This record gives sequence, structure tokens and C-alpha cells, in this order.
Amino acid sequence: MAPGLPSIELSGTSSAPGEPSFHFTCDDYDKDTGQGSAASVVQGLEPSVAAPTRRSSSAFLHPQHAALLRPPTPESTLINMASEEGSATAASPASAPKNPFNFQTQFISTGPVKPNIGQRRGHRYKHSSISAQHQFFQEPPPRPPPVLPASLPVPTFKEAWASMQREQRARLWWCCCHAAVAMYVFFSAEGSLAMTALSHLVFFDVGSAAVCVAVDVLGNFEVWRRSSIRHPFGLQRAEVLAGFAMSVFLVFGGFDLISHNLKHLLESVGEHVPHHPTAATAAAAATPDRVHSHGHSHHGARYISPGTVDLASLAAAASTLVSAYGLRNHGRIRRVMRVPLPSYLGSILPAAGILANPFHFLTLCFSFLMLLLPLVSVPHFVWLDRLICAAIAASMFVLGTRLAVAQGLMLLMSYSGLPAVGSSGGDLKMGSDRKTVAAGKKTDERTVVVGGASESTVSSVVREIESEPQVAGVEEAQFWQVHYGLAMANLKVRLVRGCVDDATLSQLRSRLARVVQNRLGEGYGRGGNLRWEVTVQTSTEG
Amino acid sequence: MAVQAFYGYVTDSLGLLSDSIHMFFDCVALGIGLFAAVASKWPPSERFPYGFGKIETLSGFGNGVFLGLLVNLVGMMAFGHHHHGHGHSHGHSHGCNGHAYEDKHSHNHGHSHSHQHHDEKPSHTHGHSHSHDNENMHGIYLHVLADTLGSAAVIASTVLTHFWKWSGWDPLASFLIAVLILLSALPLVKSSARRLLLTIPPETEYSLRETLSGITGLRGVVSYAAPKFWVDDRNAVSSADKLLGVMHVVAAKGADMEDVRDRVRNYLLEHKIDVTLQVEREGDNTCWCGVGRSTLAQPHMSTRSVGIF
Repeated sequence: MAPGLPSIELSGTSSAPGEPSFHFTCDDYDKDTGQGSAASVVQGLEPSVAAPTRRSSSAFLHPQHAALLRPPTPESTLINMASEEGSATAASPASAPKNPFNFQTQFISTGPVKPNIGQRRGHRYKHSSISAQHQFFQEPPPRPPPVLPASLPVPTFKEAWASMQREQRARLWWCCCHAAVAMYVFFSAEGSLAMTALSHLVFFDVGSAAVCVAVDVLGNFEVWRRSSIRHPFGLQRAEVLAGFAMSVFLVFGGFDLISHNLKHLLESVGEHVPHHPTAATAAAAATPDRVHSHGHSHHGARYISPGTVDLASLAAAASTLVSAYGLRNHGRIRRVMRVPLPSYLGSILPAAGILANPFHFLTLCFSFLMLLLPLVSVPHFVWLDRLICAAIAASMFVLGTRLAVAQGLMLLMSYSGLPAVGSSGGDLKMGSDRKTVAAGKKTDERTVVVGGASESTVSSVVREIESEPQVAGVEEAQFWQVHYGLAMANLKVRLVRGCVDDATLSQLRSRLARVVQNRLGEGYGRGGNLRWEVTVQTSTEG
Repeated sequence: MAVQAFYGYVTDSLGLLSDSIHMFFDCVALGIGLFAAVASKWPPSERFPYGFGKIETLSGFGNGVFLGLLVNLVGMMAFGHHHHGHGHSHGHSHGCNGHAYEDKHSHNHGHSHSHQHHDEKPSHTHGHSHSHDNENMHGIYLHVLADTLGSAAVIASTVLTHFWKWSGWDPLASFLIAVLILLSALPLVKSSARRLLLTIPPETEYSLRETLSGITGLRGVVSYAAPKFWVDDRNAVSSADKLLGVMHVVAAKGADMEDVRDRVRNYLLEHKIDVTLQVEREGDNTCWCGVGRSTLAQPHMSTRSVGIF
């Protein structure tokens, strides 16, 4: 206030009051101050200008200030600018605005009432000769609305249900059917370890099918994909999290089965050579029908007469097949795991696309085994039962650990590069994939072909970036994967001297982005490929 | 220690054996927790650009899910599936009277062991004075608690069955325990999931919005795009609410790009945000973030001035 207001009163005394519509410029003023165009004139006031813009505009409307304003004259332009700045910042707390509305100020005209002259739309003084010469009224640069919404609504269960399309609903119902099958298998597994193990596998299938459906339905909503301030990457990372939970389930199931198996083994051993009479009898009381541990004794209630079809394992196999073909679940999980499958499997079986998925492979394999054993009238050995159970448990455990590690790495915000190219044999589209990647490389003539297994690791990409002619060095390189379809590369690059013009920079940026995408973005033909968002912060050497 | 128990009692008792299996799994879970606590102090590397701060959360999440599954299993067994005993109620499926005492004994053994672990680990991390609540420790604590409660339930139901011959005590006790564990594990899973999803906590979000709206007021900045921020937990000591992030900024035609970069970076650093900043020239719309492509600005201005009249 101190530099501003006294001067304006000085110059304001000589002017004829009664400009009725000064307030039309107010909007302009506050944007000018916000943008800081007058910063060169009033250096000291600049920091405080940006904050109270809205209040300052209302302060301008107050009648007390209304009389002070007048068209700027050439000799007072400089002072006037200072005064605007001053009053914008300092006057607002002094004169508390009672009426912050524009229409109120129309009544304060002191001169003769001229109906429409001053009230036309636009800036009163903008086109006067003074303004034109001195660029006083600068058009404020258009300010975009906030880029991000603060937070998008997370759908409730009801909304999600309402948003489902027909196909999605069908998938949900199928998921329920699958769950019913799993329950059936579980409860019909009375006594047989192998069937219990199989039911664990089917439960896992159900879980991941449910995750697939949930992901599909949530994809209807904007909060899933679009980033907001609260969820910077959308909710898509939840899928990884659910996958991680499922892998914990796998590990847990593996542990559980192994412990059962061990316990049964110990029980039978204890039965055979009774160390401890009480314990042995207690154990025998629990499973009275198991008399000879190595005999041909059948296991409790579970007994499939040779030659008949085991309904439970048939149901398990059928539901898995339907899930695999219809739902295509596990697809994304598999891609994350990058399990190298023996190539002979792909060449033997035509349905390698499905069998390449280790989870489907496991379930199908074991359920067919269970189906076939009674059919070919193999007697139901206890040791065979245990063996199958142990096999399932071990594979569950191994797969679960690998899955947990792969997804845990993603959740830890890291990027684990591809293994050597060609390891994921059995995928039919692999050949064409490689071709597209190669074509992409040819168009990018600067790409240095490193070749071999080290081709797509992060460090090789960084090395390649460093070998660009304009790049003097890479200060920081952060590569990490957000979710199945998105990864980020944040680079801080030092440039050599003398190539700072915009076109070169822009070209360099897009070239770096292309290098990263071509090298690390995997599998163009395999459905959702990995998209890289590359951010390059440049600085000049020296 | 589990191995010791295993070999120590291998010739003695079946109940102890099966319990030692259980204890072994407990040990694995605790070991993972311990590993996570140690690994979270590792420095960032090329493969893990943001360090291992999240590994504790991850371990907590895993522990929570594990407990939830355990609860499901116990619940399922409580509802009439007695043919295999697991975990906390394994004493019963073999009949209670035979080795209930031994079972109790071994459980106590397990407890002393677990508590030792439990006591030792907070002392390990107390020196760092975590400002945020530690999900890893929470998970381990819950795990130990679940074990304790499980064995308490075993004892209680054994005593009850001893006095009143009703077979329903055991399922009832395990069911109660299951509900308790589930209720205590849910918040853990929720909070750790939120952190793993890179969600910005509400109070930080508010100040972040303020900060972002101030960016366009900086000199030379036309607009910005693709702002993505996440909580930095590289070192839990200093950064209470520090953010890391990525942003693209469009510099005005005449402005110096280096100047714009430094200005925005310093502005954000003042607000405890460390960004990787890509500065683009106005009109250059080659970037994926699509700053130059949409012309949101003009219609916005016109509608606003119309709104006044």
C-alpha cells in the first residue's frame, strides 16, 4: 500500500471521476498480476502477487477505490503500474470487501447516467493509443484448466454391477460355475490327498478367473485407466496386487499340502513302528480305516471303482478348458512370469497357446491323470496318491514362488528385463514378433545392435543412450514397471555443448523414447504390449 | 530352532512332530519378515531405482493375505471338515486326551521362540525411529498373535471338552479365533495395499493440488502435462511426506528452457517434491503426453468471460 496508494491519489485528484465501468478491467488485472508481467517494474512485490489474486479483484470493486481509478496518462504510466501492484496486494486486507459481486458496482457512477456507453463488453482502455504503445494491457496467456482431476470416484459394487455388459455378466456367471465346480471337487476329495491337491489348483483357477472378471468390469470406469492426483497411475496396479495375493495363495496351498503329506507320512510311519503308544493309538483312532500303510488300502470314502469315470476330475478338467478358451485368464500373469517352456512341447501339441500357460497345463495334466487312473484300472495305491499330491504341491510351490517374485518385483517399482530372446518358445506369434522388432530396429539406424542375451537389459539401453552423439552422459536412469501394460523410464541426460536448439532437442527426445520402446517394449503381437512412458530431463554440459 | 525341535523330538512324539512342521512354516514367515526388514535398508540400484522401501509393505501384505487364508482354512475346518487337522487345531483331530499336554508344551516352546524373535526385531528397527507405521512389523506381530490365540484356543477348548463332553467346543473356539484374526488382519491388508498401489494419502494430496495449481504461475511456463507423483520411501528416516515424480512442462516461446526447468524444479523442491522434469517447447506436440495436441485453453477463456456478464 505504501508505494501504491499515495501516488494514485496524487494523480487521481485532477481526473474527472465517474467512469462507470472500471470493473470490466478487473478480471484482466488480476490475471496480469498472476502472470507477473509487470514483474520487471515492481521487483519487490512480485512474490506476494500471485497468491491473493481473487481477493484483489474484489478489492478493486469496492467503491472506495472506484473513484481513484482513471485512464492512465503517459506521464503516469509507470507510477500507475506500481500502484496497481501495490493495491492488488496491500489494499485487499485493508479494505475488507463487503460485496464481492460485479453487479453491485454499477450503481456507483457519479457522473450523468450514460446508459450503454461504458458497459460494452471488453476492456475499456485496452485499445486506446496509450495501451497500444506501451503494451500495458497485455493479453494474459490462456491458462489451461487443471490437467488432472483431483480424484475420480471409485465405483461401488452397485455401480459396477450396473455397468456390466452382457459378455461381462456371462463371464461372472461362468466364474460362479467354476467356483461351484471347485467346491464340488474339494468336498468330493474326502480322504484322497491328490484330489485335495487338485481342488487347490482349481481354487486358484477360480481366484484368478475372478480377478480377470473384476479387472474387466473395473475397466468400464475411468478411475481404472486415467490418472488422477490421488491415483497417479489409475487403479490398474490393483491387478498386480491381486495377482500377488493369488500367488501367496499358491504358496500357502503348497505349504499346506506338503504339511499334510508329511503328517500323513509320519502317521503311517508311526503306525508301522510305534515309538509311542499313546500317539500311535490316537493317530489310529483318527484314521481307523488305514491299517497297512503300504498295502492296497483305499483311502477313506474316496474310492473310484476301476473302469468308471471320476466325475470330479472330469468337471475340473472341463471347467479349466472352458476357462482357458473362453476367459483367457492367466494370460497376463503368464506374461509376467516369462516361464520358459520346453520347445518340444510347443511343437508336439497344437494347442500350445493354452498349454504354454503353466497353470492351465498343471490343472489339465493332473485332472486328466486322475481321470485316467481309474479308467485304465490302475489300483489306487496310497503311495501313488501321495506322489501325485507331492507333485502338485511342489509345482504349486515353485510356480507360486516365481509368480510372487515376479509380481513382487513389479510392486517394488523395478523393471526386470526379459531373459534371452527365444526362451518363450511355444508361443506361435513369436516369429512375427521378432520380425516387427527387427523392422523397428532397421528404421532406427542409430541403434547399435548389441545382440545376444544382453540385448534388452536396462544397462545396455543406457549404454546405447550414452552412445548418442549429442549425449554427454546419463546422470540418472530409472526404469520401472508400473503394471502389466505400462512402464516408466525417467532419464536425466547431460547434453554436449552447442546443441540446445529446440528441434534437435525434440528429435533427441523422440529418438530416446523410440530406443527405449523398441528395446524394452516386448511382444507387439501378444495382445497388450508394454508401453513405455519416457521422460527425459536435459541439461547442458558445463 | 525348528530343526532342533524336529530332531530333538523325532523319536518321541507324533504330535510334536506335526507341530514342528507348523513351527517350521512359522519360522519361514518370520524369516521372510526379517529379510524384508533387512532388505529395506539396501540402497537403490539400477534395477531397483527407488530402493527397497516397499519390501516391508509387501511382506506385510503377504502376511496379511496369508493370515486371511489361514482363517478361511480354519473356518472351513470348523464347519465340519475334520479329516485333516492343520495349524492351530491339529491337536484335536487326533483326539484330545492323548497328547494334549505335549501339544501344549510344544506350543509354549513355539511361543518362547516366537516372542524372542518378536522382541529382537523391534530393537533392530527402533533405532531408526520409523515415522510411519511399519506394515512388516504389524504383519509379524499379527502372525505371532494368531499363533498365541490359536494355542490358547486349543487349551481352552481342551479344558472345556474335559469338563463338558460336547464336541462343539473345538469348532466354536477355532471359529471365534478365526474371526478375531480376520478382523485384525483386514486393516493391515488394506493399508499396505493402498501403499503398494502408490496412492497419495489424502493430506498430501491436498497440498499437492495447491502446489500444482501454482506451477502455471511461474514465469515461462505455459502448461504442464502428465504429472505423476508417488510417495518416496527410500529412506524412512528423513522423508516423512516427500514425493517423487515425473512431469512434463511446456515452456513459452521466448523463454529459456534451462531457466524454466530450474525454476519449476526449485519451486517443486520447495514443496518437497523431487521430479524428473521434461521441458518442451510450446507447439511441439511430438511427446506422448500430448500437451500440445489438445487446445483446451481457448474455449475455457471464452466461457469464463461470458460467465461474468
